[in-house]
Parts: sequence; C-alpha cells; structure tokens
Amino acid sequence: MDAELAEVRALQAEIAALRRACEDPPAPWEEKSRVQKSFQAIHQFNLEGWKSSKDLKNQLGHLESELSFLSTLTGINIRNHSKQTEDLTSTEMTEKSIRKVLQRHRLSGNCHMVTFQLEFQILEIQNKERLSSAVTDLNIIMEPTECSELSEFVSRAEERKDLFMFFRSLHFFVEWFEYRKRTFKHLKEKYPDAVYLSEGPSSCSMEIRSASRPGFELVIVWRIQIDEDGKVFPRLDLLTKVPQRALELDKNRAIETAPLSFRTLVGLLGIEAALESLIKSLCAEENN
Amino acid sequence: MEQANPLHPDGESKGGVLAHLERLETQVSRSHKQSEELQSMQAQEGALGTKIHKLRRLRDELRAAVWHRRASVKACIANVEPNQTVEINEQEALEEKLENVKAILQAYHFTGLSGKLTSQGVCVCISTAFEGNLLDSYFVDLVIQKPLRIHHHSVPVFIPLEEIAAKYLQTNIQHFLFSLCEYLNAYSGRKYQADRLQSDFAALLTGPLQRNPLCNLLSFTYKLDPGGQSFPFCARLLYKDLTATLPTDVTVTCQGVEASSTSWEEQRASHETLFCTKPLHQVFASFARKGEKLDMSLVS
Repeated sequence: MDAELAEVRALQAEIAALRRACEDPPAPWEEKSRVQKSFQAIHQFNLEGWKSSKDLKNQLGHLESELSFLSTLTGINIRNHSKQTEDLTSTEMTEKSIRKVLQRHRLSGNCHMVTFQLEFQILEIQNKERLSSAVTDLNIIMEPTECSELSEFVSRAEERKDLFMFFRSLHFFVEWFEYRKRTFKHLKEKYPDAVYLSEGPSSCSMEIRSASRPGFELVIVWRIQIDEDGKVFPRLDLLTKVPQRALELDKNRAIETAPLSFRTLVGLLGIEAALESLIKSLCAEENN
Repeated sequence: MEQANPLHPDGESKGGVLAHLERLETQVSRSHKQSEELQSMQAQEGALGTKIHKLRRLRDELRAAVWHRRASVKACIANVEPNQTVEINEQEALEEKLENVKAILQAYHFTGLSGKLTSQGVCVCISTAFEGNLLDSYFVDLVIQKPLRIHHHSVPVFIPLEEIAAKYLQTNIQHFLFSLCEYLNAYSGRKYQADRLQSDFAALLTGPLQRNPLCNLLSFTYKLDPGGQSFPFCARLLYKDLTATLPTDVTVTCQGVEASSTSWEEQRASHETLFCTKPLHQVFASFARKGEKLDMSLVS
C-alpha cells in the first residue's frame, strides 16, 4: 500500500507539472528564438506589407522597360555596371571645403556585333564654386578584334580618355558596318552569278566576276575609317584584274583610271548605285 | 478455576464449555474484525487503485496534450517559416535586381546619351566632354507621336537642331541623337578651350579674347614673351566644321619690324600649324613652358 501511495503522490506531482506546462509558452530556448526571429521577420515584412513587394515589382518593371527603351534608342546594350567609390579628401582639403572622390567603374555590353568591356576612373573635385569631373583612366577591350580599324581607334580613345567619343564613334562605325553588310548581301542576292563575297558579307571586299568574261575581275574594297576626331566615314577603292590582252587593247586607259573614276562615281550616285552600275557594266552582255 | 484443557474430556466440563464458547466468540469477533479490516483495507486499496488509475489516465492525457501542443508549435514554425522565407527571399532577389537595373541605367550616362521615360515619350540627356573633362549636359524632350516631335530642349540656339531634326528625326532617331551629340560635344569642346585660354593664359594675351557664341570664330592677340616682344601675334581661328574641335582655317599675323625676319616668319608659320593640330589651351601651355625655359636661360 505504501508503494501505491507513493505512486499516487508521484502521479499527482507529475500531473501538476504537466498542467503548468500546458499553460506556459511551450517552446524550449532554441525554438523560442527561432520563432522570435521569424516573427520579427514576418512583422517587418508585414509592416512593409504586400504593397512594397508590389511596389518593387512595379518599379522594377518600369525601370526595365526604360532600360530596353534606352538600349533601342542608343543601339548600345549595357549588360553590366559596377562601381566603387573612394574618398580621397584629406583633412587639409576638408578645411578648405574641398572634396575629392575617385570613382572606379566597370561596364560591359555590346553594340550589335561588337562587344566591349570598359574600366575607367572618374575623379570628382568639389570646391565651393563648382564640381569638376574628369576621366582619369580609361581601358577598353573590344571584340571582334579582327577589325583593325577599330583597334587603332580604341587606342586613340584610351589616350584621350574620351568615353563619349568612344561610344559615338562606335555607334557610327556599327551603323556603317551593318549598312555595308546589308548592301553586299542585297547585291549578292540580286546578282548571284556576278557578285562573290569570298570572305563573307561582313568583310570589306566584294568581287564582281562574269562567266562570260573570264579573266576579268573587279574588286571593291570598302573600308570604314575613323579619323582623329572620331569621325567615321567610308572609303571605297576599286581594284581591277584584267587579262594582259585587254590591257593592250585599252587605248583610252580606262582600266588605269578606273579607281579614280569609281570614286567620282560613288560621289555622284552614292555607294549602292555605283556598285550596281559596275556590276551591270561587267555583265551587260548577259542582260542583253 | 482450574484451567480447563479443551482437549480434556471431562472434569470441569462446565467451565470448559463456557470458556470454549468464550474462546469461540473471541475468535469470531477477531476474525470478524480481521475480515472487516481486510474488507476496509481492500476497500481502501480498491479506492487507491481507482485513484491511481484515474491519476494515470489524467497524467497520460496531460502528457499527450503537452506533446501535441509542442508538436503543433513546431509544425507551426515549420509551416510559417518556409513560406515567409520564400517571400522574403523573393523580395531580396527583387531588390538585388532593382539595384542592378539602376546601376545599368546610371551607366548610360557614360555613353553620353541617356534618357528617362516620360508620360508622352522620352527625355534624352546628352552629356558632353572634352579630353576626359566632363562638361555641360543638354536635354531634348521627345514626344512619341506620328510624327515624332521635340517638345522642348535646352540646346543652344546656335546649334542647328532643326536642320539635324529635319534630316534624321523621323527616319533614323539614333542618327539624329548621335549627330546632335557630335555637334554639342564639339561646341562644348571649343568653348572649353576658349575658356581655358582666357582663365589660364591671360598673362600671354595682350587683348581680350573675341569669340562668338558658337565658339567657332576666335580672334586674339598674344605675345610669347610679354616683357620682351614688342609686337604681338594676331590669331584668327575659324572652325568651319561644327562637329570638330580643331579649327579648319588659321591665320597668324605679326605686325611690326620683326615681322619680316625669317625667325619670326618661322615662328608665325609654326604657330599656325600648332593651332591647327592641337587644342588651343595646350598650344598656350607649350608657349608658357617655352617662356619658362627662356627665363631660366636668362637667369643662368
């Protein structure tokens, strides 16, 4: 009976403890902090509310459309931009209310078939009167690297630290590049038996041959040049290949003067028309 | 009385019987008592047992209740956390994306051409620079309609905006913008050169710098050696190409006796070349350096 009494007492004690456990907060220490943390987070989240997430999404959508618009507007597609700022203000400068800040930027993107990667530094000096900013370092990596005209231009831009000129000229260069490609392709499609693009439509040369005139060949070299000022302009040259016999027969020296005449022709008719007239002249017999 | 031995057959049988009866009575009452006690004890034990049963049942129920409670809290946390975590992660991802996009938008300023969408179209901002020095910005507010039109702008009146717009705005907006960029950057560059000349090399100028608003016609007089030289050089710079920062026509003249001498003539010609090939303020910077050299030679 003593044992049973003891058991009774033990049960009663346990029950009392269990009752207390039912009323108190249940979690042991770790669970408590986890719950607290997530409650904190939930609380904050709810503070900002559903609204902010929608706001964020709206804002993001708006900015993304602005970005795609800019990309279309400028033809330049920037994919990445990172920046580091370093405050170079010394205590001396602070006394004179001068502030000097160095920004390091890295940006990459593409303009049609040309991809670029730029690293540059901008030094900002703010004194009482004004804020002056200057590019103090510029490094440009461009692909494709085959365009030799571009590599010269790149070194010049780096030397001059002229960011804007780089992008401006890049844009015009690409515009000309695409125009040249379109023109070559168009002519090839129109005169498949006369026009040959041995290096592809993106190259700078186009050959005109005629089956009925074997041995004759006209090569048009169309280069896109960028001058000192960053101005982009086309330069077309005509190279002729004629059989020896034809040269002997050429009393008027038409072949000799062809390159010069071609330049004049381009000036008169414009590039496309000039090229087309050349093609037609060589293949005239066929068209008859 | 003599003690009677119950087992003794006769003798004091009367006393024995009574005693016997007494004894039996005691025995009965004792066993009664005992059985009562036993009964009550049993009863007590039974009650305890039931109590124990009851208590055990209650304890088990409570245990189950506490376990259940703990389990449900755990489940609650488990349920609550992942959802909210997912939402919070989503929000963080959104914020990161937003920062990224903002950074890229900022980067467009470095192309010289940037813009913001407006309710009617876009406001394009053209930035200018000369030799790495970031200069003024101009804006052009475009309304996207058919035809595209310029709502308002901050382009100076002497820049041929209407001409450029007439040529390209409707057919090739990129060309329009970059063309305008060319003009504005060139103007900014010329202005910068003229400003630097006026501010940094006033000592070498013998008269005010005459310039037009477009900064494509400059006229000034200068001396290489303000103290020594008697007659100044007269320079006239004409920038026919409005998209260039270097002059197309340069005339440098020198009046006075020394003008006829070959050394002056050489100098005059070299100055003309310098002005044609280098930015104005850089030319004067080289003059100033030469001047310093001259001074040094005088001193030594």
